[in-house]
Formats: sequence, structure tokens, C-alpha cells
Amino acid sequence: MLYRVIDAHELPGLVQAFMRDYEVIAPVRSGKSFAFEAVSSFDDIVLDYPTTLTSLKKYYLPPRETLFEYDMADGVTDYRMEVRPRVLFGAHACDINAINALNLVFEDPRYPDPYYEAHKKATMIVGISCMPGDSCFCHLLDAGEVRSGYDLFLADIGGRYLVSIGSVEGADILEAACDPREATDEDRRAFRDYTRRRQRAFNEEIPSVQEIPMLMDAFHSDDFWEELGSRCLNCTACSSVCPTCYCFDIRDVLDPSGETGRRERVWDACTSPQFALVTGGHNFRPGTRERVRHRMYHKLNGFNAKHGRYLCVGCGRCVKACKADISPIEVLKFFEQKGIEDGDRDAD
Amino acid sequence: MDEQKNIPRVVLVGLASCFGCQINITNVEAHLMEVLGQVDMRYWQLTSSEPMPDAFDVAVVEGAVTTEDAAETLRRVREKARAVITIGACAATAGIPGMAAAAYEGRAAQVYGSAVPAIIDDIACRPRPVSDVIAVDYEVPCCPIDPYDFVRVLQKALYGANPYERTSTLCGECKRNERGCFYGRGIMCLGLVTRQGCGARCPDLGRPCNGCGGVSVDANVEGARRVAQRSGIDPARFDKALEMFNQVPREVQR
Repeated sequence: MLYRVIDAHELPGLVQAFMRDYEVIAPVRSGKSFAFEAVSSFDDIVLDYPTTLTSLKKYYLPPRETLFEYDMADGVTDYRMEVRPRVLFGAHACDINAINALNLVFEDPRYPDPYYEAHKKATMIVGISCMPGDSCFCHLLDAGEVRSGYDLFLADIGGRYLVSIGSVEGADILEAACDPREATDEDRRAFRDYTRRRQRAFNEEIPSVQEIPMLMDAFHSDDFWEELGSRCLNCTACSSVCPTCYCFDIRDVLDPSGETGRRERVWDACTSPQFALVTGGHNFRPGTRERVRHRMYHKLNGFNAKHGRYLCVGCGRCVKACKADISPIEVLKFFEQKGIEDGDRDAD
Repeated sequence: MDEQKNIPRVVLVGLASCFGCQINITNVEAHLMEVLGQVDMRYWQLTSSEPMPDAFDVAVVEGAVTTEDAAETLRRVREKARAVITIGACAATAGIPGMAAAAYEGRAAQVYGSAVPAIIDDIACRPRPVSDVIAVDYEVPCCPIDPYDFVRVLQKALYGANPYERTSTLCGECKRNERGCFYGRGIMCLGLVTRQGCGARCPDLGRPCNGCGGVSVDANVEGARRVAQRSGIDPARFDKALEMFNQVPREVQR
């Protein structure tokens, strides 16, 4: 990995350099929270944001996307997507890890997704370091650091940034816009101080649990899931804000004329009551117990089995979005409690 | 079906309502003639002078059932229609007329005092949604309906698509609009229990949901009351707000 250092006052120039050829998406203030939006000025960007209300997945998997268009007279027309080259500027490690997880799904060589590919090819990523908020637990799910999947990653080491270079394109823009220099021992010490400070800042009330996938299997039938499910409001806010929930539905939308229409892909959610409803009327997950459990299983167990990593990156968005306090943190707390109870029993 | 032209015959019946949903259909403006071109519009209560004909394929019903006469009309409609579509909150949940459903026996006296006209007892009945009287195939929810939503559902009925609609509640759509939550600001919003489908457009415009889409069959009302309470809102206030469009209990709605 190649590292360089730039001064903080060079950052506006870097953003400006991107703006010449790219749409710049960056964190901005939005009401009481923050959102990723297209920006036209460096001054609109809030780089020390805690987290955004929703994630970056909308730039790879839009909530609603046309797959093709049809016409009763002319048949099917392949949809030509207008993809603007863009840069996601200021993505946190968890969110880049989330996109890396989506890549595993949509770039599966057996079933590559051309729509996703088109978005991905046109998208650059500039990451930024962060300090954890109360509901952050990325470090517990191997998502606190990111080693690939970005073009540049900026670590704030006080008045300057240690820039990790992840691609030739990223390096080119950095070279052209800034005056990057070699990292000194002092820079490296500052970086180490930052990582220690960050590590200590995580909310210690969120328990660190070993062997989570195994525990998911061990407690598959525990009453815990009934209790957790009973709180669910069936609203699907969790999956709307989740950076890795990628399930979708496909529907045909007829124009008012009845002559033309589109086939669309729209976000779906396994917490939606109809998600596992099949032809004939059977629902494989008819209750909130099954649906909430299924979602947690995919995040903390099922995806691991297939791809060797968690599908939850601990970004904490669902912790805030769920009005019923259902989140992976509750699952971690449950496992911790079970561990304490078992420990007590062994001691008796 | 009109045998010659092979065009489905449609009637539009208005029961107890403000007729706003019927009017809102005309708000597809640019596409109105295209839509009318796909049907043989035999009767539209708002615009027709002649009585409803005896033969038709698809019936669109607006409004709640507040008289035995209306219930009888519905039964007649059901006998003849291949598909029945309800439009608007009044038809789906009894809506605004449904607000009179609780303590219904005393309502006439509240209005007329001791001089309740005899005809009231003869014709009026406790407000009910259409589905309480006849089987409904398709539903266009909300007060008023979205005219494009109406066209979408009408086409389902015309061309024989699955009536399947999602029953998740509104917050998921609200989050897709990237909106924060009213409860975070201590403001009550009925989106917690209201069926999705409208795109959470009121919250997107800065107004809390008032439940016109109807309480979802999969709503967790008890859970929603707990959310309200935790945000400093008396659950009784939550229940009261629900009465505007969801007075008639859900088990009756089904």
C-alpha cells in the first residue's frame, strides 16, 4: 500500500479537481442528521460527520431502477442507462466495507449484474477516517478498517492527511491537485495516535462477542427471537437504511396509456411481510419472529458461510432507524448474557 | 365485456364520501383520454344523469356504507362485476364517515336532539367499509387517492394482474426518502402503523402521517403505542388520532 501526506488546506483543491470530471457526492447536513448528496462547493461538505441517515448503496443499487422498456407495438427495448462518472467523497471505512460486500454479490462471475457493474465502473471512492458514535460497532464485525475498495483514503492526523492510495486513477488526481509528500516518522506517529484514540472511543456497552456465526446456530430456537420479533413494527426501515441490504423485487409498470411500460427493480426487504410469500399463498416466514431472525441470520451467519465475512458492517444506522430497538447490538447483548448465564451455571 | 369492441365496461359508484376521489381521477389530466380509451365507461356517478346500467365488468366504488340502501347497491354490484375496486379511505376503512361508528346509537340524537326524524332509523346504519359488505378485489387507498395509483390498479383489474400489495408500514418508505423521524422531535406520526404505498409523501413534505392509507393488517399497534410513549406522547393521543381514518376496528375492516 502506498502512502502520501497532504496538508489540510489542499483538500478543497482535491475536491475541485474531482469536480472537473466527476459528480461529487459527499456528506452534507440534512435536518438533524447528515446525508450523502451531490455537492457543488467544498464548503457544503461536512467531513467530520458522525454517520449519515442512509447509506451509499443508492449509488450502486438505486431504490428504483428501470431494467428495460416495452412497447405493445415494438416489443422490448434494452434500457440504456445514463451513468454519470461520480466520486463518493468522504466515505467511512464501514461504508466502503459495505460496498465491498455488495460487490461479492453483484459481481459474482456466475451472475454478474450489468446494471450494478455500470454504476460501479463509473464510481470512484475517497474514504475518510472517523471517530465512532454511540451506536457504532464496526470494529466488532471486522469492518472498522478497510484495506481495499477505495481510490484514496484520507486519515486525519491533525492539520494534514495520511492518504492511502488505492488506484492509479486516484493517484493521478492526487498528484495533479495536491503536492503529496512522503510520510515522515512524525506522520506515522500521529497516525498511530489517531488509531489508538479511535479504538478507545468505541461504545464499551456494545459487547465484543467471539464466534458469532456459531452462536447464531446454537441459539436458533431460543425464545429471544420471539421477544425480539414481537417488537417489530413491520416497517422495513432497517433495510432501507442498511448499507448492505441488497434484496430487490422486480415489477412491471404500465404507463397510463396501457401501450408502453417499464420493468423496474425496486428495493425489497426480508422484514416485509410479503417477502417470502410464494404463488399459491404460502408464506415461508409468516411472522415477525421468523422475519427478524432471518435478517439477523443473513447478516451474522448466512453471508459468512458463503462469502467469509459478515454482511453487517456495524454502521449503526438501523440502531437509530428502528423505533422498536431491534438491531444486531441486541443480538450481541443476548449472546453476552447467555455467556454469563452459562458461566454462572458452570461455576455452580 | 362489450362483444363488438372487446372493451371492459366500467361503472363508478359513489357512496358516503366527499366525492373528492372521483374528482381526483380527472387529475391524471394529460392521460385522462388515454385511460378512458381503455374502458367503456358506462356510468360515473359524478357525471352521469342516467341510472347505473345492469351490465358491466368492472365496478369502482367510492365511499363508506352508511345506509342499508348502499349495502343493497353493493350486493347488486358484486353480483354483476367481474372485479370490484374500492377507491379512497372512506371505502377502505369507512374513513371520515366511519368516525361516527363508535357510540353510533347516540349519534342522531347528538345532531337532532329529541326530534330525530323517523327516516333516520329507517335508512341509516352504522358506517362500514365496503369490504364489510362485499368481497373487494382491489383497493386504492388514501384520502384522497393518487390518480396515478388509481390508473395502475384499474389496469390490474382490466388486464387481470395479481391484486397483491405490500402490507409493511410507512417508515420504510420514509427512510427511502431519507427523512429523519418525527418521533425524534417529539412529534406524533401515524406512519408507524399505516400501510405503505403512498411513498410517505406527507412526511416527505414535512407533515406527519395521519393514517389515511389505513392501519396495515400487519401493524403492531401496541408496539407503536410504546414508541409514542417513549417519545413523550400519551398513547391515548395516538389512539385518538387513529380514529380519524381508522375508527372502525381492523377485524371489521377485513
